[in-house]
Amino acid sequence: MVLIVGVIVLIIVNVILLSITSKRQSTFGLGRVGLSFVAPFQELITRSVRFSRGVWQHYFFLVSVAHENETLKNSINQFIEKDNERHEIELANTRLRNLLNFQKTPTNPVVAAEVIGKDPSGWFKTVIIDKGRSDGLQKGLPVVLPTGIAGQVIEVSGHYAKVMLIIDRNSAVDALVQRSRARGIIKGALADECRFEYVLRKHDVQMGDTVIASGLDGVYPKGLRIGRISELNERSSNIFYEITVTPFVDYEKLEEVLVILHPKQQPFESQQ
Amino acid sequence: MRYGFYIGTCLFLIIVQTTVLTYFSIFAGMYDLLIPFVVFISICLPLRESLPFVIILGLVLDNISGSPFGLHLTFYFWLLAGVRWIIKFLRVSNKFLLSLVLVSAVLIQNILIIGTFGFAVPGWQLPAAALKNIALQIFWASITGPLFLFCLLAISKRFGIQFNGSAPPPKAYG
Repeated sequence: MVLIVGVIVLIIVNVILLSITSKRQSTFGLGRVGLSFVAPFQELITRSVRFSRGVWQHYFFLVSVAHENETLKNSINQFIEKDNERHEIELANTRLRNLLNFQKTPTNPVVAAEVIGKDPSGWFKTVIIDKGRSDGLQKGLPVVLPTGIAGQVIEVSGHYAKVMLIIDRNSAVDALVQRSRARGIIKGALADECRFEYVLRKHDVQMGDTVIASGLDGVYPKGLRIGRISELNERSSNIFYEITVTPFVDYEKLEEVLVILHPKQQPFESQQ
Repeated sequence: MRYGFYIGTCLFLIIVQTTVLTYFSIFAGMYDLLIPFVVFISICLPLRESLPFVIILGLVLDNISGSPFGLHLTFYFWLLAGVRWIIKFLRVSNKFLLSLVLVSAVLIQNILIIGTFGFAVPGWQLPAAALKNIALQIFWASITGPLFLFCLLAISKRFGIQFNGSAPPPKAYG
């Protein structure tokens, strides 16, 4: 009888604690211990696997390289032409900025990091990187790639950090549709996609539109690319659209990331 | 020697799960590889040794995962308790029943995770991707889980690690 009561009490306590921790992303300071213990081994194995893969791809698996080379040469020619156009636009932009007496946007310092481990569970989308507090990282810093936003730092130990990707269910990014400036919140879904929530139906949103960070969440600098609208449901009776966004970043192949050390905060007033 | 084997296996599984398997898209829906290991130590070790081991293992997994803190700890603890209770009635050498226990454990872990999603967002609905994820994990668990568990049992038998008192002495596992 005592045993049964004990088990029931233990279950109730367990459920209460889990309900608390599932609402707050907190490890009560214990997060660094496991990270420091496991991450060095993850780093060692990841580097070994990448080295072996590199040897295979660069020295043995060269069958399709000649064909790929041809395609890439064609692409480069197109990019040279586009780069020339971009350069012209950049010069025009500088002239106009000078004319309007705008300040040059400061470049934030970044730290490059390697992904050394992924979440052991398929339900949560986090990665472990090989940079930590000793490299200037702290909780809440944005993690990006040239293609778009990757996520944010949620746990930091001496030499390693845990990053929550924007496709994680707990992630939320304040975002804008680049073309129409319609605002909403990008939230992680269970698949490698995001939901774009709270976008009012009165705004102009179309399939294929690019979604960028608004900068209003205080984490991600304004203008960073997030993804493209891949699904748009206009027929629901809700006042908001039902939108699915496919991120620009391929999270399955995430290997290197950039951590922005001191992201410039976007004052709310300036957005009005 | 014995603890070295347990710690080494445990670390090996965590590393494989978080690094090596991520390079192979075929293993995208892989289940938690530590479940067979927890079942194994629940069978092989006495409670005073397996309980601290399971608690440390749960804490480490909670640290490196993005899950709510305590989720893995909770699951491994109750899995240990459940397996220890169930082997009072179950013959450890019965491959089919042990496989069933393993697959059930994978299913229960998924239900627990979905439960925490419900805690965090009231009114949360299970998307189709979640069902696919569960189905994939059950598939992998039913194919590789028993194989993996019986390998661990065979290795432990070879090293002369005895089952705890509640289970019959080791017979043929292979």
